[in-house]
Amino acid sequence: MPGVIRMCASGVNPKFHIILQNALEVGVIHGFGSFKVNVLSDGIRTFSVTANLRIKEIITIEDGNHIRITANISESDRKPYLVKNENDRACPLCASGLHVKHTDVLILSQFVRSDGCMLPRRITGLCSKQQRIVSSLVTMAQKSGLMPNLNPANSNRDPQKRYKWEKFNKYFDESTIKWK
Amino acid sequence: MSLKRVQQWATFARVWHIYDAAWQNPFDSAKLLRKHLMGMHKPIYHPLNDCGDHVIVINSKYIALPGDEWKKRVYFHHTGYPGGASWTLAWELHTKDPTMILKKAVYNSMAGNLQRRYTMERLHLFPDTEVPENLLKNVSNQLEQLRPKPKRLDHYDENYVKEFPKLIDLPKDYVLR
Ligand SMILES: [Zn+2]
Repeated sequence: MPGVIRMCASGVNPKFHIILQNALEVGVIHGFGSFKVNVLSDGIRTFSVTANLRIKEIITIEDGNHIRITANISESDRKPYLVKNENDRACPLCASGLHVKHTDVLILSQFVRSDGCMLPRRITGLCSKQQRIVSSLVTMAQKSGLMPNLNPANSNRDPQKRYKWEKFNKYFDESTIKWK
Repeated sequence: MSLKRVQQWATFARVWHIYDAAWQNPFDSAKLLRKHLMGMHKPIYHPLNDCGDHVIVINSKYIALPGDEWKKRVYFHHTGYPGGASWTLAWELHTKDPTMILKKAVYNSMAGNLQRRYTMERLHLFPDTEVPENLLKNVSNQLEQLRPKPKRLDHYDENYVKEFPKLIDLPKDYVLR
């Protein structure tokens, strides 16, 4: 997704001018995609600088009245450890022939964002059956507190400091997952 | 000759077992514990033969219940007075006494005869790994856990997680978050 900044002409905060300025600058320097900048209150102007075809990490630095938005463009660090899918028809998980359990956090964490949310199917590339199974397994693993480092930044990451009954250990039965 | 004599001692000796209850279902564990407490695993077992072993259970605070049983399982108690009934949820009981669920599970797994109270005396429950030294020095056997203890993702080595085989790669226009 390209960076999107919207602002109105009426009642403009001077701080937002700086964001806009820096964002445009960054867009040129670091090869951002396209910006949607609502310069006037009645119109949207879209322009694209470069093709956006790399994994990006967007960093926002704020000091005083200045906000700098930069994008680190990098190769995926999964590339050297990727299992090759020999089967051209099956999804990566079906082709691997694995029976994943909710305690297999090393596999489940690959389908999860840094805040612990399941990635959508267009990114995971799983078939609909596996997508439903894996999202249930991720929920189970999160409820069991097995992936506490993959949680929203403001959440309480220690499973033993959770609310009332949620702080005790629990496990799940994978046969209860309904995928049909 | 002397070998037979030692065999005789060993047969009637009380063995001390240790059992780690971390991430174990207390009701499945109760069946295993009962077997060893009553001595049912021995060929000389007879209900009137007092051949049960001692079992030390550690980490009873970290037992695991399936699904949402922590807030669904209810323990009933009645004081005997009118209006003396009370219902306590499993998580409330476990907060008050982290050994009680396992103790009740073992107690209820045995038949209600005169032997039950004496058999329970041989069960030593501890909420964590702190066991008195005089008990721990008797231990000569460890009971195997019934279900594998899961390992948390943040307890793995960082490099091991990074170098673990990956099933999917992120798409090329993916924005990390
Ligand atoms: Zn599939």
